[in-house]
Amino acid sequence: MSTLEVSDLTVRFGGNLAVSKVSLSVAGGEIVGLIGPNGAGKTTVFNAVSGVITPTSGKVALAGRDISKLPTYKRARAGLGRTFQRLEVFSSLSVRGNVQVGLEIRKSWSRRGGCDRQYLADGADLSADSEVSLILDRLDLLGLADEIVGALPTGQARLVELGRALAARPSIILLDEPASGLDENETTRFGELLRSLSGAGLGILLVEHDVGLVMEVCDSLHVLDFGTVIASGDADEVRQNAAVVDAYLGAGT
Amino acid sequence: MDKFLQFTVLGLSQAAIFAIAASGLVVTYSTSGIFNFAHGAFGMMAAFTYWQVHVAWDVPTWPAFFLVVFIIAPLFGAFIERVIMRGIEDAPEVVKIVVTVSLMVALLFLAIAIWPQDVAHPVGALVEGGQLEIAGVILPNQRLMIIGVAIAVAIGLWLLLKATRLGVAMRAVVDDRSLLQLNGGRPARTAMMSWAIGAGLAAISGVLLAAEQPPSAITLTFLVVNAYAAAVVGRLRSLPGAFLGAVILGLAVSYTAAYLPSDASIGSFSLSGLPRAVPAIMLFIVIVAQPEARLRAHTTIRTRVVGVPTQRTAAIGALVLVLGTAAIGSMIAGPDLPLVSKALWFGLITVSLVPLTGYAGQVSLAQLTFTGIGALAMAEWGANGSPFAVMLSIGLCALVGAVVALPALRLTGIYLALATASFAIFCTWMVFSQSSLLVGGTVSVPPLSIFGWTADTQFKQLMVTAVAFAIIANILVLLRRSAWGRRLTAMRDSPVACATLGLNLTSTKVGVFALSAAIAGSAGAIAGRSFVSDDFGLTPSLQVTMLAVVGGVGSIGGALLGGLLLGMFPIGSSVFAANAIGVFRFVTVPVTKVITIMPGFMGIGMGRNPDGAASDIARSYRSLIESVPASVVTAIAFAILWISARLEYISNWDFFAGVLVILLAVMPLIGSILPPPGVQVAGRRLAAGLWLVFALLITAVLPWETLVESNGFRILLMLVWAGVVASIAVGVHGAVDLEALGLGTDTAAEIESPDLMGFGTEITRADAQLAARAIGLDGELDRPDTGSTAVTHARSGVEVGST
Repeated sequence: MSTLEVSDLTVRFGGNLAVSKVSLSVAGGEIVGLIGPNGAGKTTVFNAVSGVITPTSGKVALAGRDISKLPTYKRARAGLGRTFQRLEVFSSLSVRGNVQVGLEIRKSWSRRGGCDRQYLADGADLSADSEVSLILDRLDLLGLADEIVGALPTGQARLVELGRALAARPSIILLDEPASGLDENETTRFGELLRSLSGAGLGILLVEHDVGLVMEVCDSLHVLDFGTVIASGDADEVRQNAAVVDAYLGAGT
Repeated sequence: MDKFLQFTVLGLSQAAIFAIAASGLVVTYSTSGIFNFAHGAFGMMAAFTYWQVHVAWDVPTWPAFFLVVFIIAPLFGAFIERVIMRGIEDAPEVVKIVVTVSLMVALLFLAIAIWPQDVAHPVGALVEGGQLEIAGVILPNQRLMIIGVAIAVAIGLWLLLKATRLGVAMRAVVDDRSLLQLNGGRPARTAMMSWAIGAGLAAISGVLLAAEQPPSAITLTFLVVNAYAAAVVGRLRSLPGAFLGAVILGLAVSYTAAYLPSDASIGSFSLSGLPRAVPAIMLFIVIVAQPEARLRAHTTIRTRVVGVPTQRTAAIGALVLVLGTAAIGSMIAGPDLPLVSKALWFGLITVSLVPLTGYAGQVSLAQLTFTGIGALAMAEWGANGSPFAVMLSIGLCALVGAVVALPALRLTGIYLALATASFAIFCTWMVFSQSSLLVGGTVSVPPLSIFGWTADTQFKQLMVTAVAFAIIANILVLLRRSAWGRRLTAMRDSPVACATLGLNLTSTKVGVFALSAAIAGSAGAIAGRSFVSDDFGLTPSLQVTMLAVVGGVGSIGGALLGGLLLGMFPIGSSVFAANAIGVFRFVTVPVTKVITIMPGFMGIGMGRNPDGAASDIARSYRSLIESVPASVVTAIAFAILWISARLEYISNWDFFAGVLVILLAVMPLIGSILPPPGVQVAGRRLAAGLWLVFALLITAVLPWETLVESNGFRILLMLVWAGVVASIAVGVHGAVDLEALGLGTDTAAEIESPDLMGFGTEITRADAQLAARAIGLDGELDRPDTGSTAVTHARSGVEVGST
């Protein structure tokens, strides 16, 4: 099982220090939450880890290998997947098409037809079609399979992004507000899905504003404010941390 | 040493002109986000306007200069921004490039129409001849003046950006457009001012260039194009970078001209064109040296789903095309046949843009350069017309295409357009001017010969073109329906998502570019006729790209329409030239000139819609059925036409042409011009309706019978005319809003909130004001310089308020 290690990550935009010396690690089978107020730098951390932006300093390692200097697509090939806070779906393709492209792109670079496990499949060997169907089924998207994604509501589109990322079979996945746009029922089911993914061995770094969901599913939490980690620990520790209550959770949460 | 200093001064004065032109580009691009390919044409128009004012109307030098540079040009720039550019800032890169390229082509031909190029238009020197002599170096006044103007421009721009409100607003826009808007700035007005300033700077460079030598429209336009290389040094956004680039460029051009022997060559390969190819070479080097572009999120605002034909439909379409070509071809008399053949041949080249532009969203401005390389290779290797040589030539084009595009494809789309444009210029001076390759300036491509069958007649050549088109169209549909085609769509929708799935964007794009270059090259290899070097120049390539987009580069049929349009415009000119001034007798500009200007204006109108006319026309047909008023009007139009023909007001051919125009242009659009009662439809309905009525009248009075000899050609001409009428109508109408009619297949992607430097959720100005007032910062909100902090505080205010 591979581990994502982020150490002393710093991102500066001109004079603005967006992220300052953030360190965290996500092991396979673990769900780590990253929370904090808007503008705290969560998405910037994601962008720097996935190589969408170049950090000012710091190191990102996956399974012991330094991937800090690699372009985004090579980090993906090393086993890092992600979704986006602001949707990045293939809006002119169908739901099935989106997931299928994820799978086809993976097949184009992984010689063995799969570099890592499909965590939804319990280790079973799958044909491409049945892998796509399985993903759609587990994300409750089968009924929407032939819908054009551009026309879907945000909540569903986020699930499409997750499905697409899973089709690339990452070992660590970064999820940026995946549950926003889902109703209460859907959120509960989504939490269960995340649990079963991590139970199968996938490592998840989760940015989410639904504090209930975060507290429910995360093994550990980091709280980010003004680009720095102001608290770390499990749900209870974070909930009782005065600085966190001050900066983010507010009294009475 | 004297020679060195002398050419240094010459180089610096050229650098000064490049710097002025390049800084205009940078100001416009960085403020409005649109790279103005027509910048050179702006300068050219200004130079001719200056000639008009100064020479023709006898206004003294400096008043004329000030009038052109400080009043006419800025007004023109502001006008262009207001009328054409506003509203496309957020459009896909393809749209921006095609619209400004079309503007360039339109202005070029407009200038040629107004100021006939067979007469020289010398504007005379701006300052008294005479010179300073310092330490043995002669410094002509003219050159010193030019360098002085450039310095003045530099200081002026510096002051503008540092010390004026407008300048601060402009810098703020460069920084973050949405943030400025939030702070009460007006990006639209700022963009307009930047276009005015850009046009003024283009005008200065144009007039200065014209003062050096009598201007010719094409030379002047492309001279200013050289300044693009200087702007790229500053990554299109930095003024000091642009000035530095200009100095390097000016000196490089000057020294090359000074020290390169006129008979320099490598083997039989002549280097005499090198001085003129220097800007293109420099642009290429700078692009190679650029670091890879950052992945950008959210490049597409709105995507429309274009239906992909099934393989069966494509096969049937190919069969219809081949049989139809054979039928029409056999009806066409001798001299008209090569013209038709050429029109279809252009279709082959426009179709080469379908995978590149239509599927992958990239723009090439050098398609005819690849055609030229294919033609030269075939002439060189395939004297016997063997298919093997065709394959080899196509392979060469793919290879050259990959090498040329690789560096630019690491960057954003605008750089590919620039790199291909400079590749076209480079080849014009370095390849297509080689007397060893083009003997006497022409190259003759041998006709294709397969197993003893040789395409040695015009008709056979036409059929070779049709079959080649059919094969390529089917290959494209096959590719489009494969995993590869899906991947290209995905890449266009979200490059960043593809990268996070492990896709190497650059190599994928290089593959597409190589395919596109190969198709364009195949057109050259199977052409079976002779070419002159001008056939492979930048101008025809610009027209190819423009008309491919006008027709609809997302689909093969659309691109074919574009190619036919391109092939037909020269035919139209030659046809109407025989008709003297034709029906436009009331206009002083002859019809032939009008026809050369038309493609450019169509590009400006239609470029806004990268799906093109063909798909809109096809889709909008369905709206007719829904609308009773539309059906009634169509029926009445038919009736009037029929009665006019019966009463012999119009000839039978006029009737036939009218029927075609109604079928292809009126019927598809009338439904959205005259919607069913109670349905709201967007778009300029009145203007589109008036155009259709006007077009029908022209159709009725055009002397179809005497235009051309052969019936088949006449029918083809009518079809193309109907296509032109339809595409202009779609362009004028502006919005074929099928959704409103309940026929929508459009999927508008969710419009995302602006990215406020990584703040995710949208806050409106009202939110910000509310929050700012709550924390006592409301006075700060409208001050651009403190805007960023105000928003940060305002944002935390919002947060506080909501918890």
